[in-house]
Amino acid sequence: MAAKPGSAPVTYSPNLGQKTRPPIFKDNDLDWVRPDGRGFHQCRPAFFRTGAVNSASGSAYAELGSTKVIVSVFGPRESKKAMMYSDTGRLNCNFSYTTFATPVRGQGSDHKEFSSMLHKALEGAIMLETFPKTTVDVFALVLESGGSDLPVVISCASLALADAGIMMYDLVAAVSVSCLGKNLVIDPVLEEESYQDGSLMLTCMPSRNEVTQLTFTGEWSTPDINEAMQLCLDACSKLGKVMRTCLKEAASASQE
Amino acid sequence: MRGLQLPLSQTQRIRLQRALEKLQSLSCKANSDASVTVADTIPVNYEDAFLKGHGTTDLNGDLVATVCGVVERINKLVYVRALRARYKPEVGDIVVGRVVEVSQKRWRLEINFSLDAILMLSSMNMPDGIQRRRTALDELNMRCIFEENDVVCAEVRNFQHDGSLQLQARSQKYGKLEKGQLLIVDPYLVKKSKQHFHHLEQFGIDLILGHNGFIWVGEHVEARDSMVVDQANSSEQSRVPEEKNQTHTPLEMRQNICRIANAVRVLSTLGFSIDADLILETVELSSTVKIDIHDMLGSEFHVLVAEREAERRSLMGKRKR
Repeated sequence: MAAKPGSAPVTYSPNLGQKTRPPIFKDNDLDWVRPDGRGFHQCRPAFFRTGAVNSASGSAYAELGSTKVIVSVFGPRESKKAMMYSDTGRLNCNFSYTTFATPVRGQGSDHKEFSSMLHKALEGAIMLETFPKTTVDVFALVLESGGSDLPVVISCASLALADAGIMMYDLVAAVSVSCLGKNLVIDPVLEEESYQDGSLMLTCMPSRNEVTQLTFTGEWSTPDINEAMQLCLDACSKLGKVMRTCLKEAASASQE
Repeated sequence: MRGLQLPLSQTQRIRLQRALEKLQSLSCKANSDASVTVADTIPVNYEDAFLKGHGTTDLNGDLVATVCGVVERINKLVYVRALRARYKPEVGDIVVGRVVEVSQKRWRLEINFSLDAILMLSSMNMPDGIQRRRTALDELNMRCIFEENDVVCAEVRNFQHDGSLQLQARSQKYGKLEKGQLLIVDPYLVKKSKQHFHHLEQFGIDLILGHNGFIWVGEHVEARDSMVVDQANSSEQSRVPEEKNQTHTPLEMRQNICRIANAVRVLSTLGFSIDADLILETVELSSTVKIDIHDMLGSEFHVLVAEREAERRSLMGKRKR
């Protein structure tokens, strides 16, 4: 049922998907109460800081509630795979979890599907023709997973790319919305993601008003889709402003 | 984390802040309007004809920035200079690099650029100094000249059509660098100047400021012009390098090298542009204050250097008026 537009043929299922699940709402009138007391259409306060990793060309740290990620960007640099001459550069994304990121300590896994989603979200915004024959490597590390990891990583990655001085059309802001029964909650936490009926992740370039990636999973009704997309676009433009102030602060601090 | 990461006491913090504020007020380019982030519109008078330079693009008739940086205007050219970008090489720059790979008839050097630089075997002077065609034997003996992880000083010769860089090391002052330290600083801190090879006589130390941000501090090596040498002396010379390898660098020389290297590190942490005079002044400051070499990287010395630099620049400003 859920097919991501223009992506690798991997079926995407909600996290911790169980085949049979008792309905959480016995009556359809009950509303979901958010664990951290936010409103349904309220995002978590975002904290961004660039320059987290000294040895990388560019890096950024993002913290939204309990989701903490760090992204480092290396490049443009040479790589064995980019030896063939090409007019455009290559973007190489890697998304991984630390062993202590999830509530249950497990092996740090390297999620290939998240890596390719990160790649698709970013490649629309980067001007690849400005660094031919070289590669830009983006390494994303989730230090603590507190829900909506991928959108936070995408926003953090675009800040890291801006920090590295790589030419982009615009910053990329990403937000996800979960559908819980008849409620739409924005920026879900881990618990909400486990109960969701469907999710939507939208990454857009706020100043250009262009969407780079759109991902729907689960069951959605058409009016819900419209409402959710509108919510996402509003939230992305606000997130874009927060990201800009972070970059401006970093720039003014480094000017001597 | 980037930025000054020093354990500063309260008084040190105040002193450092005061010195940095003084420096900022003295700098002539204190124009905060000029800094832009990605997709910010650049204020331009659209009636004038202007050229769109690096870091800008056209969006619905507006000029927007594609990198985070400072807007520079030179005559009609409007471009955005990125704050933290890779080194941008130009022909004739002196660079210091590290050998990454020995391939067919060339060496690959890592300089702080997006691609590795290439040093062709034919762009190197032969050890015996004779100008001749490089034979297959020369190719097999490439490893005797430079191996992997050797530090080499060279000059940018030209750009290939696909964007990669070619270097040359045609005179005696270029070549393998031994007996010293390689320091890596940000490329924008090394400004273009007439002299990049500095011989500090009072220490007997060579200082090479590579444009790419690689700085070499090492024991002084006599640069002999190989053209003058004739065949009779060539066998004698081939023995001399071996003997040199066995000579021990005296302790005082090593201490001097470390002192100068630490001075460079302090200057780069504080973000001051690096040139030979400033390095010498910092070293003198460290010896007058009688600070230990390893204490030079501590917070007190950083604060002293910042204060000294603020004083120096304010004096220069007063002298100009």
